[in-house]
Parts: sequence; C-alpha cells; structure tokens
Amino acid sequence: MNEDTLILYYYNDGLSDRERRQVETAINTDTAVSAQYEALCRQLNDLSETDAQAVPSHTLQRWHDTIDRAAQQTHIRQQQPPGPFHIFSFAWGAAITAALAIGIGIGVYIAGGDTNTPMIELANVGSSAGNVVPASFTRGVRVHLQDTQQDLADLSLDADADRILLILKIIDQNRLFERAAEQNNSQSLARVLRAFEPILLRLAADDVTPEDAEALRAQLAFELSVMLTKLSRDTSNETQST
Amino acid sequence: MKMPIRPRTILAALALLAMSASLAQTTVSELAPVSELAPIADESEVLKIAALEALMSAPPERALPLVTKVLNSNNSNEVKLRALFVLSQIDLHEAQAQLLHVARSGDGELRGEAVRMIGIGGNAEALAGLADLYSSGNEDVRDAVLEAYMIAGDTDAVFQIAANANDAEEFEAAVEMLGIMGAQDDLRRLRESSNFSEILIEAFALSGDADTLRELALDGSDPETQARAIEALGIVGGESVNATLVEIYRSTDSDEVREAALSGMLISGHGQGMLELYRASDNVGEKRELLEALTIMRSDLVLDLIDEALAGDR
Repeated sequence: MNEDTLILYYYNDGLSDRERRQVETAINTDTAVSAQYEALCRQLNDLSETDAQAVPSHTLQRWHDTIDRAAQQTHIRQQQPPGPFHIFSFAWGAAITAALAIGIGIGVYIAGGDTNTPMIELANVGSSAGNVVPASFTRGVRVHLQDTQQDLADLSLDADADRILLILKIIDQNRLFERAAEQNNSQSLARVLRAFEPILLRLAADDVTPEDAEALRAQLAFELSVMLTKLSRDTSNETQST
Repeated sequence: MKMPIRPRTILAALALLAMSASLAQTTVSELAPVSELAPIADESEVLKIAALEALMSAPPERALPLVTKVLNSNNSNEVKLRALFVLSQIDLHEAQAQLLHVARSGDGELRGEAVRMIGIGGNAEALAGLADLYSSGNEDVRDAVLEAYMIAGDTDAVFQIAANANDAEEFEAAVEMLGIMGAQDDLRRLRESSNFSEILIEAFALSGDADTLRELALDGSDPETQARAIEALGIVGGESVNATLVEIYRSTDSDEVREAALSGMLISGHGQGMLELYRASDNVGEKRELLEALTIMRSDLVLDLIDEALAGDR
C-alpha cells in the first residue's frame, strides 16, 4: 500500500471515512500491509519523541557568531596565495559546519531556514532493518539534491558574504542527509554526499576566482544531476521489479 | 524542473556518446579549420557532458564501455573529469579497476579526480591501491588520497598514515583528517602512542571529543596545552562543556587559564555564563573584560548589562 496513504491514516488526516475503512481493512487482512504499517508507526513514534523544537536564542546567537567568525577568518586569509585545495581550510570549514550541525543532533531546524528544505526528521529516523533503503529516505534525498541544484544555480558568485552563508546552509543540509544515508543502509550515497563537501568549501573560499567558482559549480551541477538520474533509475527498477 | 529521461532520450544519448568518442579519435587533418569549429566544439562538449549524465540511466554493462571510450579518446579534461564521476557510479569491478588505472597513470588533474572517485566508489581493493599511490606521490596526491579516505570513511587507513608519518607535516595532515572524520578512538590511540602535538587538540575539538579535552583542560602540568584545550572545548560547545568552562574560570588562580576559559566561552557562545560571572564579580577590571567579551558576542544580554552599569545597579 502507498506509504503516503498510511501516513495520512496514522495522523487521521486527509482521508475520507470510506478510505479510512479501506486502509483499516487492508491492515487487518493483509499481513504485508500490517507489517508496513507497524514499521511506519515505529518510525513516526520515534519522531514524535524527538519532536522538532524551536532553536534557543543562545544557540541561534552562537551560529550567527560562528558564521561571523568564519567571515572574519576568510577575510584574514585573503592575503594568502590561492591553492587547489588546502586541507586546513577544509578543517576550518568542518569546524564551522560542526558548530552549525549541532542542531542536527538535537533535532532542530536553523530558525528562519528554508521551509522547503526537507525533513530534519530524516536524521532522527532510526537504523532501518536489513539492507533496505526506505523509499521515504530516497524521496527526501532527491528533494535535497534538487534543492541543492537550485540553490547553486541561484548562487551569486560575486557577493562573498551571501555566497558563504548559502554554501554553509547547503553544507549543513548535506551533512544531515549524509548521516541519514548512513542510518538508512545507503553507504554509497553517504560517500557521494561526503564528497560534495570539500567542493562546496572550495566554492565558499573567498579567494576562489570567478573562473574556478564557475568550474566548481558546473562540476557540482553535473554530479548532482548524475545522482538524480541514478536515483530515478534505481527507483524505476525497483518499481518494475515489484 | 528536471525533465524525466525517456528511453528514446537514453538511446539518443548513447548514440551521441559513441559518435562523439569516435569523432574525438578522428585525426586533425580530417577536421575543418579550428576557427570554424570553435563554437561547435563548445556545443559538442556540452552535448557530451549531457550524454554522460544520461548514461547513468543505462544498465552498467552498457554504460561502462562507453565511458571507458570517452576516457581513452582525445576528449578535453573537462569531459574526462565528468566521465570519471560516472565511472564511480557504475557498480562493476571493471569500473573501479579503470579508476585505479587513471589514478596511477593519468595526468595531474585527472589523477586527483580519479583518486577522489575511488573514495566515492568505496571499493576495498581500489582503496587499498591508494596506499602505494600515497607513498610515492607528491603533496597534492597525498592530500587527494587523504580526502578519498575521508570520503570512503576509512579511518584505519588515515590512522596508519598518522602512526607511520615521516614528518610533522604528514602527521598533522592525517591527524586533522581524523578529526574531521570524527575518529575519536583513533585520536586517543595516537595521543597515547606518539609525542603529544597541539594538532591533536585541534583534532579532538573537530571530532567533538569533549571528554579528552576536559581531561587536558583540567591538567595543569603543561599550562600551554591546558590553555589550548580549554579554548578547544569552546569549539565542541554544549551545556556540559559550558558548565566546565565556567567552573574552570571560577576555580583557577591563573590569569592565563582564566583568559583561556573566557575565550572558550566566547567561542562556545556561552553568554549566559559570562553574564553570571559578571554579576558575581566585584572586580571592576574583570567586569569590564566580561562586558567586552559579551559585546564581541553581540549578545542581547549585553544591553541589560549596559543598562545596569549606566544605572549603577551592580
């Protein structure tokens, strides 16, 4: 049975009485649907226990300060000659994103974040049984990749501060999905998402030339597109084989 | 919006790719003058890249020979770089072997990218092949290999590099990567087995290891290390760390340690702690220092303090 229908049934929302009765009958008579519903209930119950909370003001302030310090740090580095990839810039970026990602661990959104960005709860989904990659997770990743693609397309390569902020936001989301991929039996996807991060950090560097920035953006756009195509192919294959 | 890729599109893309690979092998003398071809060449490049993307929809057995052909043909590096990513997503042993071949024999740019792709592929055999490449490679290659291990999540390989490092620079790069990877256990092993280095403190902070940092922060045997560890605690942050920083600030007799604790709170953004310390202090100089720190944080709390200070309340 369609997972969305079961979610609506769980929340007692969006289904007519007749549809609810149909779902109820299916759960009571079909063992596969019953098992699917039980698994869904477990996931959703876990989510409600770690429900999203508003970000405390001091945490928000800390993020803002961290971003400010990152901007100052990149300004200091302006005098340094550009290089292809410097491991310490990555380390600094990792420190920033580690600070930004604190919200991930406690299941909160960055206040004022993009409401279109999908599902912080993905990070809270417990380890999936067996080697099955949940369809809801795959859908979430596709939305994330599409959003990232759009954000990068909209990215102004001229405005440094805006560029850094947007890229940090992308990295933050990307880390969330990377962790979720690990929890959802998708190591290959986790590796790809992890591989995006150094490229994003190079793109965020203030000493990147417009030509290099454009090349990095093109590279990411291509890799995102390939992954979206691959996910579509895999989903299509699964659908055909069921 | 991304258009769905239909079977006909895939077939056209496959045909285009096969054709472009053949075209790339055509000798220069057979081609029209460059000036006439330039715009078409750009367009051809764009089409090749689009074809490579579409290739991902094809079965791996069909895609692999075409990608290999692109890599072996006289295409631009840009096209070949894209082909390497597609290759990393082909779940066949031959694809990983091909990546390792490029990593060993390709030119600088392709080589580095092939190493990254081996990390993305996560194939154990190909990852093992990176060890030789690391030993014999220059700094760029070594950085690329470390990055590949990070992508693959292979903390053991990075630990081995750190443990067997020939010089401080190599050790630091590997330790830093372990920090990024959150490899707390490996970092603790390094702390026990090697000469202690400041880079380890940074790595403990990157990995979020508050326990080890707290231990170092409370150990006064080496004041410099202690101060660095206290500041690094601020990077980890969190309620427990904040409480530790306030406690260290309150209990120490050392100006250096107190200053480090304040820096830690500043990094951690623990304005509330600074506010408590401000209110508890009777020392004007100390109050001024705390007020300055709160001002740097741009905390709203500072407005209350300014108000109090101006009113002469406390």
